[in-house]
Amino acid sequence: MIASTAILLLTLGQAPIIEISGANFRPLPIALPAPLTQDDGSKKLAAEFDDALKFDLAACGLFQLLDRKSYLADAKEGVTASSINFSNWSNVGADALVKAQLSIDGEMVRGDLRLFTVAAGKEELKASESSSKQDVRKLAHKLANALYKFYTRETGPFETKIAWARKTPAGKDVWLSDWDGRSGVGIGIGGINTLPTIGPDGSVAFTSFRSGKPDLFVSKNAAAPKVLVASGRMATGVAFSPDGRRVAYSLADGESAQIFVAAADGSSPRQLTNTPFFINTSPSWSPDGKRLAFVSNRGGTPQVYVMSSEGGEAKRLTFQGNYNQTPDWSPRGDLIAFTARDERNAFDLFTIAVDSGKVTRLTQDQGNNEEPSFSPNGRLILFTSTRNGGVPRLFVMTFDGNNQVELPAEKGSYSTPDWGP
Amino acid sequence: MTTAPYQSLLSNRPSSMGTFMLVSVGAHAAVVALMMVLSWLYETPRVDLDQKPITASLVRQGKKRDEQLLPRKEPEAPPPPAEAKVPIPTPNVKPEPKPKVTSDKPQPNAKKSLFDALNKTAKPEELEGEENGDPNGDSAKQEGEKYFGVISGAVRRNYDVSNTIPESERIRLTADVLIRLDAAGNLLEVKLTHSSGNDVFDGAVLGAIKKAAPFGPPPVHLKDTLKNKGVPLRFKP
Repeated sequence: MIASTAILLLTLGQAPIIEISGANFRPLPIALPAPLTQDDGSKKLAAEFDDALKFDLAACGLFQLLDRKSYLADAKEGVTASSINFSNWSNVGADALVKAQLSIDGEMVRGDLRLFTVAAGKEELKASESSSKQDVRKLAHKLANALYKFYTRETGPFETKIAWARKTPAGKDVWLSDWDGRSGVGIGIGGINTLPTIGPDGSVAFTSFRSGKPDLFVSKNAAAPKVLVASGRMATGVAFSPDGRRVAYSLADGESAQIFVAAADGSSPRQLTNTPFFINTSPSWSPDGKRLAFVSNRGGTPQVYVMSSEGGEAKRLTFQGNYNQTPDWSPRGDLIAFTARDERNAFDLFTIAVDSGKVTRLTQDQGNNEEPSFSPNGRLILFTSTRNGGVPRLFVMTFDGNNQVELPAEKGSYSTPDWGP
Repeated sequence: MTTAPYQSLLSNRPSSMGTFMLVSVGAHAAVVALMMVLSWLYETPRVDLDQKPITASLVRQGKKRDEQLLPRKEPEAPPPPAEAKVPIPTPNVKPEPKPKVTSDKPQPNAKKSLFDALNKTAKPEELEGEENGDPNGDSAKQEGEKYFGVISGAVRRNYDVSNTIPESERIRLTADVLIRLDAAGNLLEVKLTHSSGNDVFDGAVLGAIKKAAPFGPPPVHLKDTLKNKGVPLRFKP
């Protein structure tokens, strides 16, 4: 039928419409020349700003940053469409061109970012932000977010916070930092502090052994932490509900550990699981707050289970592998990321589709990869990996396992990261 | 006087045709009934027009992976082995001295001159086909379709779109482009006749066409159409 239509059209002197589908969706090739500076003050800040902006765009998985060594354009080329020779950018394979300019305004530094489509030679976006001179990385994050929002119409992850634990000579400290692991603030310092989680209001709750046994603490606005749960039993692995009104955690007594849900201040605790002699731990909330994913060994090996946050029957979710732990429910609701030990005794990251149960491997043959945590928009996953030198470091990748990049955090041994708003 | 009996083809003659027809109808009915019973007994899957295309792949030889184990990523296919560079044997002979160039004018090519001379005397090649065929006959039509297939394939190979476009928006995107080609298949014009409403997608579509060109010389009967009217392309993700 199609062929005969084409024949008819041809005899009438018309060509048929050729339909083309099956596009390859790939990161957008983007050129980001070094920022232009207008004074000595901004010149000093340019390198730091440039580092942060480059990392944001390279790590988010949407863009392919082209190597600056390949650029043909003059480094001092202007920032307006009329002053740009777009064929120079087209010839290096750029689909988009981002130009940034810095200037000092008193104690503030101002950043202007312009986005051009190279094929059309057209300015698509102009964004201006300012910050204090000490926060020039934040300025870069703000401008990167503007760019991210232009393309995806979603809020970017670059101004979000992450919390993590880092080994010290005496134990572990809990820190809160920007998404790239920089600009950290100590939250739980001294002794052994671990398993931090960030609430929707920015509060950080964590497990601390400062009383000799694990209790839960919470810190608001980076203030001194206060006790959240200290029941006399071992409390670990706290998680805020998406609306911030409740917390779920695990209370261990002897060889058994059960999941509890309480109000956000730790009051009115209610036991959800009741499997004596078995361990139930690592609760993670579904985005609607109605369900919890958690780890239980009630079937003989640690596996991921799902149950209502009001209690009731738990349903086993993972059946492949015999050591699955640290589930994290995607804010989009469709996936749960988890750590699993495979038959080679390597720890790697996987996702499981909540509806279909389909397991997808995200990491492989690159050291041990553990403790995944989704970004607030569900597009990225934060995790730890020992691939670079054997010490666990902070990494980020897209939710489907692509573009695995190490965060430019300070050197150290990192664990139990959590990504918050 | 007796008359010979009137012999006519129209006269009734005893015939077994009626019986044969009856038996034939009965036999056919029996066969149809039998087929219906058999098809009812051994029902085969019905054709589902809404079924998605089935993709097949050749499974490599090896031990089957235990379904209880966690999945592993497929290893990337190893690159094809590089061809061993075999040094070309050079006979130990003295190189011939280069001919002395006495003039800057290009020397006439003897073979080409002979070919041109033969070409002038040869009759023009007659097109094969049917006597009552159409000037745009069967073979020409097939050639035209094939050429559109060449365009489609070349563009599709370069059809890279940025994943910055949200998934929710992708399903709504459609862009129409008209391209005009010269006799060598080079792009004369690329015109966005219907924008998808997404500049990134429109840019990717135009970029795919530009990267895919040139497409090679089109068949004779398409040259005018492709040059003057062009060919429309419709892009969907």
